[in-house]
Amino acid sequence: MASITLKNINKVYPNGVSAVHAVSLDIKDGEFMILLGPSGCGKSTTLRMIAGLETITSGELLIGGRQVNDVDPAQRDIAIVFQNYALYPHMTVLNNLSFGLKLRGVAADEISRRVKRTASMLGIESLFDRRPSQLSGGQRQRVALGRALVREPQAFLLDEPLSNLDAKLRAAMRTELIKLHRSLGTTIVHVTHDQVEAMTMGERICIMKDGEIVQVGQPMEVYHNPVNTFVAGFLASPPMNLLPGRLEAARNGTIKAITGSLCILIPESQAKGFLSHVGRSVTLGLRPEDFHLSDNAATHTASLVVEAVTTEILGPEVVLVASLGGENVPEIHARMPRNFRAVPGEQVHLHFDISQIQIFDSSTSRALPRSVTKAP
Amino acid sequence: MNQPSTIEAADRRFGWFMSAPTLALLLAVILFPVFWALFTSVHDYTLIAPNFDTFTGFRNYLTAIGDSQFRHSLWLTSLFVLGVVLIEFAIGFVVALMLNSVVRFKPIYYGILLCPLLMNPVIVGLIWRMFLHPSLGIVNYLLTVLSIAPVNWLGSTKVAIWTIVMVDIWHQVSFMIVLLLAGLSALPKEPYEAARVDGAGTFKAFRHITLPLMWPVIIVTLLIRLIFAVKTYDLVYIMTRGGPGTATDFVSYFIYRTAFVSLNVGEASAMSAILLALILLLTSYLYRYMRSLS
Repeated sequence: MASITLKNINKVYPNGVSAVHAVSLDIKDGEFMILLGPSGCGKSTTLRMIAGLETITSGELLIGGRQVNDVDPAQRDIAIVFQNYALYPHMTVLNNLSFGLKLRGVAADEISRRVKRTASMLGIESLFDRRPSQLSGGQRQRVALGRALVREPQAFLLDEPLSNLDAKLRAAMRTELIKLHRSLGTTIVHVTHDQVEAMTMGERICIMKDGEIVQVGQPMEVYHNPVNTFVAGFLASPPMNLLPGRLEAARNGTIKAITGSLCILIPESQAKGFLSHVGRSVTLGLRPEDFHLSDNAATHTASLVVEAVTTEILGPEVVLVASLGGENVPEIHARMPRNFRAVPGEQVHLHFDISQIQIFDSSTSRALPRSVTKAP
Repeated sequence: MNQPSTIEAADRRFGWFMSAPTLALLLAVILFPVFWALFTSVHDYTLIAPNFDTFTGFRNYLTAIGDSQFRHSLWLTSLFVLGVVLIEFAIGFVVALMLNSVVRFKPIYYGILLCPLLMNPVIVGLIWRMFLHPSLGIVNYLLTVLSIAPVNWLGSTKVAIWTIVMVDIWHQVSFMIVLLLAGLSALPKEPYEAARVDGAGTFKAFRHITLPLMWPVIIVTLLIRLIFAVKTYDLVYIMTRGGPGTATDFVSYFIYRTAFVSLNVGEASAMSAILLALILLLTSYLYRYMRSLS
């Protein structure tokens, strides 16, 4: 097991394209770290630099305290699971599992012991004689994982290993990977663009955009306190509603947050962090789960009447897509109880949990500090 | 008949309709000559008496097998085929591996490589006959400049066959390079990355990844080249006419001489049939053997 430290790492390709800029990250020994971001954000490049498959243009990479910038991938004692598994197509499952150990000159009986143990852990003993082309996607994924496990490396690097699986298998493999990490305790760096994987699997999430790290933190910490509108809009499905609006001073130190026809009164106790932006344009961040049905809109401080556009019935819940009214105000998404129904055009009375409101500076997109950061 | 099978039958009819002209053409230019040659081979058919009046059974075959010159031409052809196929494969694979890692100017290299392949064998033969002329050729001139004794490239019984081998390599090696390079560039990149992390260096990656993955391409390339090499005729006709003596009397050229110089078409047809059988046996054996290796 080993820690992985990235110090001011940059990657510029020979054609001048800069893929990663000034990435600094401390991955603790035994930690399950997620690199999360949209396509082209540099997360896979960062992982490949850790693996040694891409050269580092500048900066320092340490694995287990040892600088490995110029160390051959084979000497880094890490194992990688690729997105498309990268199994050796001409070898049987048994040979795929044992090839890396044979190359390292491990004794035959030790190879046999490790391969059998790993195969039994992953339930792939019956596939030993098959070739990758004769396996299903899930089986290939297990063999690829087995090939990494059998090496017993200091750290595992997983490059979107679940993205080629169907939804059911992906959910099952998520759970298995979490269990595997608990039982092995080895450092894992997992690259994904799937925020569900990130939230469910990671001990910490490192969110990247345009080659830079935007935010690093535990899943719920990042979820409740996104540093900017990018993080707020990237995590969760449906994501946070981001509505253009403005702040205005009201009576007794309170602030009014106005977007479209919606006016939310923020009490003095919560308004301190937002005072500097009174009279300015801001972006209001409202999570879909913080909207609640209301019998009488007028009884709540943050009450609103919206016009239903459509409803998405998901089973455990219903997502209401509704219009707030007003020009250039996007539709909002609100999570409703599973028995909620509304026809398009119907007026729906809602209220909003003010303690959960996020305010972002319109020009920088950065979050304004909240006085109360209550996690429900 | 239910709906899907009606559609299938219509598709099949349309398929036959579309391929009928090509099939008819193939029958006319491939199967008809083969059957005609087989028919001729069991008759006493000469260009002096071009008729099928005398049925001879397998006499032409027995005469051909008993003919020491025919056996000699088969032996020379085997030597030539083995030489060109192995040397061209070795050079072709090395160059293809080198070109596969080239990033810049790849189209230029392709262009240069394809030049000999685009040339007609008759032109190649004529050019090289001029280059290798004992007294006027540039090759011997350059050798003299380097104080090396001139070589009688096409006039020596010992050297002539290797001269033909060399010219054929010059002409055909790019065929190997292009085919092998196409195979190499189609190989997936990911197993190489996995192997790098697993600890395989360049040679181990070549031995354990490249070679096994390339086997199907290698098999096809070798078989195609082998079949074409057996049929070599143009170079011999232009450069040596089978000589000096019978030093380059390859089987295709020998069959041509039997048919059109000795005018014995019946025996030449029997030789062609024997050659066809040998090639079929050899290719099917090699194909199975190489498939078992892969």
